[in-house]
Amino acid sequence: MIFSLMLNYRKTLCSSLFFLLLVSFFFSELISSSHIAVLPVFEWMETTWFGVAGKTWGALFAVVQAGHLVGLGVLGGSVIASDGRLLGLFKGLPMRLVVDRCHSVFAWSLALLVATGIFMACGVAIKIYYMPVYWYKMLALTLGVLFVFFIRKPILDRDLDQVNPWLLRLLAISSIMIWFTVAATGRWIGFS
Amino acid sequence: MNQLIYNAAVWLDNTEWSTRIHESYYLYNWIESTHVLTLMLSLGILFLIDLRMLGWAFADISANKLATRLNTPMLLGFVVMFATGILLVYAVPVRSAQSVWFRLKIGLLIICAINALLFHRKMTASIGSWDFEPRAPKALRVGALISLITWSVIVICGRFIAYDWYDCNYPQSDFIRGIAGCIDGQTQF
Repeated sequence: MIFSLMLNYRKTLCSSLFFLLLVSFFFSELISSSHIAVLPVFEWMETTWFGVAGKTWGALFAVVQAGHLVGLGVLGGSVIASDGRLLGLFKGLPMRLVVDRCHSVFAWSLALLVATGIFMACGVAIKIYYMPVYWYKMLALTLGVLFVFFIRKPILDRDLDQVNPWLLRLLAISSIMIWFTVAATGRWIGFS
Repeated sequence: MNQLIYNAAVWLDNTEWSTRIHESYYLYNWIESTHVLTLMLSLGILFLIDLRMLGWAFADISANKLATRLNTPMLLGFVVMFATGILLVYAVPVRSAQSVWFRLKIGLLIICAINALLFHRKMTASIGSWDFEPRAPKALRVGALISLITWSVIVICGRFIAYDWYDCNYPQSDFIRGIAGCIDGQTQF
């Protein structure tokens, strides 16, 4: 019985386990040596074309930042529309269609955010390397990606009428909280 | 006109709360963060509606229902965004009033407001005939495209305000000084 239940939720369990291991590693003694070990990667990032362009042309960096913000807006919009529907808001809109179509928009906006984020990170690689909040953001982003693709999506791919409404609400609240945390830690980088 | 704007900005700068906001690290940052994060509510949802009109997303969902159901959170987002935006200008009024990017942003906001009004009118007049069509009629698609482009440029302008390339306290060409409305450098906030 327990085994079959675990089999049904294997993606959820594997993702949760992976994230727990990641968090344990993040707050363990091992993080210091690993942090030093990745410094050359960040030094290299600043020497790449993205890094040089980001540092040389302030206007280009700012335009990419604006693209990052637009991506954030669209991602947030898709999260609010989809999770709002799961929470019982926006009645009249078909839940299945809203959830599926929002996921496509979400995936595209996430791709835009990652692409612009890499460019920005290359431009200020050494600076962010020393910022704890940057690592918090990466942790939150990893959680977000794992949550969306390995927990939320597999559950929402089922027949939504068969899924417990409280599970849908729990998924929606978790999703909103996770992506708000990703956005807020991103904003926090700007103040550090 | 520039003198009038400058005088109003100086008056605002001399008020107690303007000083309080720009001198408070946390308050200013909280307001700015709220302004930026509300993008997810306002611009994010607006872009979803625009994408639906263009047929690039949600093509099989009723356009009218999508727009009307998402209207309330979107408007809520815009109210918060405008309120925090006004507070940000109030905190740094003299520099904002003489910023090329801020002036361009205001101009584009006016264009967006007119576009939204026309869009809403056309949508109300034509709804029903194309609600489940993958793409909206041409006039609405043009409106959605204008909205997508102008709002994206507004975000760029908002980002550029933070940079001092065209600030009045640096030597600038007559053209820049003209559109920025430079009066007295930026000796005040």
